[in-house]
Amino acid sequence: MRVLLMGHPNVGKSVFFNRLTGANVIESNYPGTTVDYTKGYMRQFGEDIEVIDVPGTFSLDPKDKAEEVAVKMLRDNKDAKIICVVDASKIERGLYLLLEIIEEGFPVVVALNMWDTAMDKNIQIDAPELEQILGVPVVPTVGISGEGISAVVSKLKDITPVDADAIVERMGGI
Amino acid sequence: MQKKLNEMAYDEEGVVVKIEEDLRQKIAGVGIRTGKKIKMITKEPLKGPVVVMVDEAKTSLGLSVADKIIMEV
Repeated sequence: MRVLLMGHPNVGKSVFFNRLTGANVIESNYPGTTVDYTKGYMRQFGEDIEVIDVPGTFSLDPKDKAEEVAVKMLRDNKDAKIICVVDASKIERGLYLLLEIIEEGFPVVVALNMWDTAMDKNIQIDAPELEQILGVPVVPTVGISGEGISAVVSKLKDITPVDADAIVERMGGI
Repeated sequence: MQKKLNEMAYDEEGVVVKIEEDLRQKIAGVGIRTGKKIKMITKEPLKGPVVVMVDEAKTSLGLSVADKIIMEV
């Protein structure tokens, strides 16, 4: 199994990567820290799973070198499963990329990262409802403390691609 | 009153009313769409980018992008 960590710049993909693989790639509180991909492995479900830390991208329509790497990674790994890391405190803008990835036909788990920050800002998110609408697992996480990360991993096994049109239907149209 | 995004004053808030067609897809990823509330944070000198607040996140936009976004302020 191969897993790609995708998401906007500065949402915590590299923190996730380090948590999953025990690696120590550079993390910082700046967008654009990861401009090329990093590969690592984790042992899960009795197999070695390849985890790839992909540079942050706002959409699958690349606008710079780092985004080009991200989109190429996705296109070159058609059989990969995706952990889409979304900043829970800025959830709306993250949904665009998420839907693009779903539309491409990839199986996805959503990590609503920085859940603690969202709580501090009094942003209330109904994760089960979102899960219902999207049809993919949605897990609140806190990367720096590791909260929710094992739940994300456990969901990886059974995820399958979902129909983007069905999501639109559940939303009651565009 | 309507004005272009790059004509907004510091700290001024407005709502996006119109985005040029070919740009719409391009900036959807950073969360800018019609009906969205945007606040001007900084305008960089020498025709530099503008920095705006969208969804509690600072986003910088080139002038060529900002002048294609029409705001109601």
